[in-house]
Amino acid sequence: MRNLRFGLAVPAWTWLILFFVLPVGAVIWFSFGYKPGLFGTHANDILSFDRYAEALTPTFFDVFLNTLWVGITGTVICLLIGLPVAYWMAVKSPPSIRGLLIAIVMVPYWANFLVRTIGWQIILAPEGWFSNLLQGIGLTDAPLEILYTRSAVLLGVVYNYLPLMILPLYVAFDRVGDSLREASKDLGANRFSTFVRVTIPLARPGIIVGALLVYIPLMGDYITATVLGGAQGNMVGQLVASQFQTAQNWALGSAMAVLLILVIMASAAVIGGLLWLVALPFRNRYTVTLEEAR
Amino acid sequence: MSTTMTTESGRTGTDPVEGPGAVVLDGVTKHYGEATAVREMSLSIEPGEFISLLGPSGCGKTTTLRMIAGFEQPDAGDIRVSGRSVLGVPAYRRDVNTVFQAYALFPHMSVAENVAYGLQQRRTPKAEIRERVASALDLVQMRRFADRKSTQLSGGQQQRIALARALVNRPSVLLLDEPLGALDRQLREEMQLELKLLQSRLGITFVFVTHDQGEALSMSDRIAIMRDGRIEQLADADTVYARPSSAYVAAFVGQQNFIEGALTASRDGIATAHGIVQATTARPDLPAGSVAQAAIRPEFVEVADASAAGEDAPTRPNLVRGTLIGVSHLGETMQYLVRVGDDLSVIARRPTPDAPRLAVGDEVVCSWRTESVQLFALDAAAAEAGYVEPPTN
Ligand SMILES: Nc1ncnc2c1ncn2[C@@H]1O[C@H](COP(=O)(O)OP(=O)(O)O)[C@@H](O)[C@H]1O
Ligand SMILES: [Mg+2]
Repeated sequence: MRNLRFGLAVPAWTWLILFFVLPVGAVIWFSFGYKPGLFGTHANDILSFDRYAEALTPTFFDVFLNTLWVGITGTVICLLIGLPVAYWMAVKSPPSIRGLLIAIVMVPYWANFLVRTIGWQIILAPEGWFSNLLQGIGLTDAPLEILYTRSAVLLGVVYNYLPLMILPLYVAFDRVGDSLREASKDLGANRFSTFVRVTIPLARPGIIVGALLVYIPLMGDYITATVLGGAQGNMVGQLVASQFQTAQNWALGSAMAVLLILVIMASAAVIGGLLWLVALPFRNRYTVTLEEAR
Repeated sequence: MSTTMTTESGRTGTDPVEGPGAVVLDGVTKHYGEATAVREMSLSIEPGEFISLLGPSGCGKTTTLRMIAGFEQPDAGDIRVSGRSVLGVPAYRRDVNTVFQAYALFPHMSVAENVAYGLQQRRTPKAEIRERVASALDLVQMRRFADRKSTQLSGGQQQRIALARALVNRPSVLLLDEPLGALDRQLREEMQLELKLLQSRLGITFVFVTHDQGEALSMSDRIAIMRDGRIEQLADADTVYARPSSAYVAAFVGQQNFIEGALTASRDGIATAHGIVQATTARPDLPAGSVAQAAIRPEFVEVADASAAGEDAPTRPNLVRGTLIGVSHLGETMQYLVRVGDDLSVIARRPTPDAPRLAVGDEVVCSWRTESVQLFALDAAAAEAGYVEPPTN
């Protein structure tokens, strides 16, 4: 029995090792090495933490803060948009059109990531049609000045990652089911109470998955930042990419990548912990134990 | 008005004063698109009454309950709870609680938190919540499970928690949608007794939905037998059993043998292919010669060896000859399946101690008393519904 179960898991393990453990392991390994010369990308005959020291410049620190800011703000905006949209799709919309709604959410994914981001570059250009239109109808009297700012990057990442938020939220809300919401209303809870005390707690795993699905790739994103952010939109992903592609310094790029991974994990853990603390009084308020009565 | 209602109990019609716990449906209709789930249903439930809505799946029981609870709005008619119309009143403001078919306990809360939920919505002080939750759990003997997650309970235990969660709010009306449907037979019979006791102790109006006639008969003050979104008969268990208002009710409550024939001139019997079936009371409302149905319950049919009756015994009303094709032991009773001619099966049931010793293949006679015969207008659908599968041995 044990052997069989282990045997069935082999493809999964193989997948994990080939496409996760090996690449990440390689990056970690490179990060302890150095760039041997003008034409070499990496060497590991001398191991040290020097690349980390090299990476941690004040500029790099600024870029990190900017990345965190874009990552957190982008995830929060995706949540704020995704929650009502997914709730409406899963609960309020006519069941017959739900398949269509999911297809619509996925529409941007039919185009390549780079292509749809460049699409936004065209829309947001100061001399583009959108800018002209806004001026034409008198909403602004100067050309649009959003391209190559942090706002443009934010807009781009929200657009690019929102479906990754909506889909797990949709599944989570759908799985809560009507009957528990009805039971809640039957017991005297209005819509708001039902949402806060039944729908959200039961959808929590989906909310966490959605937030991580957006937050993790967003923190490592460099295409959106490069296309829409220019110099203003500096993200760690861009620095890592430039070390690998332009400077050909794989060791330094690897050290930056490892730092990025650590920051992503640490920040997710810290934010999760903070949210848990914030929710604590709320949970305590509704905890009922009979023992204390005596 | 197409809704049939017996007035034998004298309880139908709208009371001038509807006290707390009274539920009145007044010409209520509910459509789902093209389909009509409930049609012009009128029903007056007294405070503290245990009423059952009984009927086959799809006859509109759940829809009726959901309209009283506030999850559906009727397309026509009025619903009053405790004398006040609840049309447009959202579910969360109605003084009514529901025990759902699938219990619908909150999986992320403990047993005690499930029970406390309604009280917390009403902003009851914490100390009072604890007391009332404890006594509600005592009521259903589940106090020691207070700290369990509701997902760690058996079906019967979840059922009790669902009951406690509703009762703790002290509603004037409790709605129960096939609450015992998912339990095994023994547990179900136990819970039937407990529910009935609880109801008479608390004096809360119970509207109990079931498709199990035995359940309805054993628990209810009155039973509303529903068919296609209407009430076919509304009466107490004795009346429904002894004097069903239609072949449909007769078929649905208990078992029946149905025999078709032409109504005799005196309209108190029918002429069938297997002789006269004679009743005591006439049906002057039906035209003589029209096709009618006689219904005889298996427990009123006597079965005996044909040779004992004499090969050429005179044929008389309420007696048919046939071949025994099945005998089954049901515990307290023995059940016999007799083939009469080639278009009629008669089921007889005798108490086991004095059941005749007969073997499959024996020639037998089945007979019954005139008082056991009920005559109804022909209702093919009802006969279908009342048809009993022959025992398989
Ligand atoms: N939400 C709904 N949408 C469409 N039809 C429904 C819905 N609910 C019930 N019905 C229909 O209404 C009729 C009555 O259903 P219901 O009240 O659930 O019956 P019961 O509880 O007696 O089995 C059925 O024919 C059912 O198909
Ligand atoms: Mg139902």
